[in-house]
Amino acid sequence: MIELSDYLMLGGVLFAISVAGIFINRKNLIVLLMCIELMLLAVNTNFIAFSHFLGDMSGQIFVFFILTVAAAEAAIGLAILVVLFRNRRTIDVEDLDALKG
Amino acid sequence: MGFEKFLFYVLAATLIAAAGMVVTRRNPVHAVLFLVVAFFSSAMLWMLLEAEFLAISLVLVYVGAVLVLFLFVIMMLDVDIATLKAQFIRHLPLALVVGVIMLVEIFLVVGPGNFGGESFPNPAPQGPDYNNTRELGLLLYSSYLYPFEIAAVILLVAIVAAIRLTLRHRPDTKYLDPSKQVYVRKGPDRVQLIRVPPEPRRVPPTATPTSGVEDEA
Amino acid sequence: MTFDYAHLLPIVPEIAVLVLASILLLVDLWLKDEDKGTNHLIAVFGLLVVIGLTGVVGGGEREIVLSGSYIRDPMSDVLKIAVLVVSLLSFVYSRDYLRDRGLWVGEFYVLTLCAVLGMMVMISANSFLTLYLGLELLALSLYALVAFERDNPSGAEAAMKYFVLGALGSGLLLYGLSMLYGASGSLELGAVARAVAWQGADNQVLVFGLVFVVIGIGFKFGAVPFHMWVPDTYQGAPNPVVLFLGSAPKIAAFALAFRLLVDGLGQLHADWQGMLVILSVISLAVGNIVAIAQTNIKRMLAYSTISHVGFIFLGLLAGTTEGFAAAMFYAIVYALMAAGGFGLLVMMSRQGHEVERLEDLKGLNERDSWQAAMMALVMFSMAGVPPTVGFMAKLLVLDAVISIGLWWLALIAVFFSVIGAFYYLRVVKIIYFDKPEVIEPLVVGSGARVALSVTGLAILLLGLFPAALLTYCQAAFA
Repeated sequence: MIELSDYLMLGGVLFAISVAGIFINRKNLIVLLMCIELMLLAVNTNFIAFSHFLGDMSGQIFVFFILTVAAAEAAIGLAILVVLFRNRRTIDVEDLDALKG
Repeated sequence: MGFEKFLFYVLAATLIAAAGMVVTRRNPVHAVLFLVVAFFSSAMLWMLLEAEFLAISLVLVYVGAVLVLFLFVIMMLDVDIATLKAQFIRHLPLALVVGVIMLVEIFLVVGPGNFGGESFPNPAPQGPDYNNTRELGLLLYSSYLYPFEIAAVILLVAIVAAIRLTLRHRPDTKYLDPSKQVYVRKGPDRVQLIRVPPEPRRVPPTATPTSGVEDEA
Repeated sequence: MTFDYAHLLPIVPEIAVLVLASILLLVDLWLKDEDKGTNHLIAVFGLLVVIGLTGVVGGGEREIVLSGSYIRDPMSDVLKIAVLVVSLLSFVYSRDYLRDRGLWVGEFYVLTLCAVLGMMVMISANSFLTLYLGLELLALSLYALVAFERDNPSGAEAAMKYFVLGALGSGLLLYGLSMLYGASGSLELGAVARAVAWQGADNQVLVFGLVFVVIGIGFKFGAVPFHMWVPDTYQGAPNPVVLFLGSAPKIAAFALAFRLLVDGLGQLHADWQGMLVILSVISLAVGNIVAIAQTNIKRMLAYSTISHVGFIFLGLLAGTTEGFAAAMFYAIVYALMAAGGFGLLVMMSRQGHEVERLEDLKGLNERDSWQAAMMALVMFSMAGVPPTVGFMAKLLVLDAVISIGLWWLALIAVFFSVIGAFYYLRVVKIIYFDKPEVIEPLVVGSGARVALSVTGLAILLLGLFPAALLTYCQAAFA
């Protein structure tokens, strides 16, 4: 039988991959955005697994809203990316040096 | 029972492999396609957890809309992949260390010790009459009315922000004005015959062209 | 849930803000470019109405409506009014700037009001879900506002950095919330608190979730070591956006921390106290020391924000009603001071010249002595010089920390505040004793002049009579 811990460990692996991905892809903004999507996928998997094993629907409701927000977030993130590209012709983080920090 | 377990491991392996590919591909198009694979396998895992509605919306909303938007932006920006390749490996060791430490900690907490089968037994499968969408909808439009409205405002903000940031009226673009179009009457408004005087035949250059400008004209 | 119109009464202020934003969105369509000032008038008068409504609806015992999603208590009343007042001030400050740069479009007001709505939702949230949605509503509006000047490359860059780190912070917070949901079985803060009390404070999963939640709060506050976005965002964003971003959201961040850590996880006080001690000490240290090296006044104020966040954490970690009241007082007072400081930068910025270097303030006294006096007052208050309110706020926080026996922590805080006083006083010196590079007097609209005077006098009067605000803060936790 598949246990709750199996799903949670799967979520944990996804989460760790996404955090590692953020470190790897510090230079490539668009993959960075995808890593954030992966991170939210890990969180959603956690919520759904908990919701199933606790017999409580509110976890699924939360996932519903995370999906909504993540879609809005992706839209705004990509819009900012387009503005950035129009201004600087690059999405390479190393080239973004107008602001030191 | 055995089949469910088999399915879980196949899907989980696909998901992890795809996620790994997403974060290590240098070509953003490949990364998006692997992300599609990851979302599809997640959706099927969510099916195993009896969250059918969310599984379907993950495919429809995420794969169908958000990832297509990603692809669209990548194509539009026409990113030069070669410049992104450099020094990719440099961050890999650090990322591996961080990832592995995080993974070990997460496993210690969420492993079978805390969330094993004894403390969280598998719930009995829902009967054939159970309708996940209906249950979700009933909750969403009653108990979670307030969050639902806030989510609507968030989508409004996304629309306003995306339009403000990216929409530009270019002065050289020609527009059709529908309010003027409807006032067009039969007759002179629609077709107007204009007598154009015949253009005098252009004299072919006798000598060799002296400048490149004439070639372009 | 049986639906009753009485349930809608407490959320009237939120509805009013949303209606205001929608009206602006529509009205803007019919406004010609030269009439865009109407947007400003609608927004300002609308906010005044909302402040009134909040006052009318507020007061009385706490009530939880809409199936436990929404809470109205004395704390939420005070914080909401503070957020609205500070937002109103920032609208007034920004008027001329927006007009001169052609940023006077309806979207600016719509996005700002949606951010205000997000803060109000956070302040009144009684479940993880509403808290998260309010937070995202605020954050998404702010990301867009930072990139609002779309032909400005550094604005877009600042927005991208803010966006990536903000989304990362949200992701970490959510992972923590998922753990807390798993361990407690509920999203509602009251139910979570009961579950935590029942399971005991030594539950491994709860503490694990708490770590991620504290990291998420650290990101949203901009506490060290999660502060990387703060200086860059402040430097790159247009001045009115920095004014808005640097003031009112700190009040909302206080509400976020209080709702999660105290309302939800009050039983785990011993665990989060330790984490907040670390965050506040390094925030105080890094904020105050790095600020000295800055030549850009926006970056300097960014690091100053980080050090003030350390103080807010000090009050929170005390874990006593006295400490919460002090932290709340501090957050509100800081928002007011930040509004004054950034407001002056906005007012001094003119067409084609963004005031951001310290030298730009040189000899402000000779150009406009009243504005100079007000700016000096803000700087004294941030440094914590009596009799300004900044001194009172620091004193209250330190008092709360000492009363739980962490006197060494209070000593560290005082030590770094003294270091921090150096760079605030340097600004005062530049204003009064340096020769101005530009001699022409400052042209400032009457609205902004009134707003700055109100801010300055409030800083002075609240310092002399802190009880005017403090009693409300204390009543919130009585």
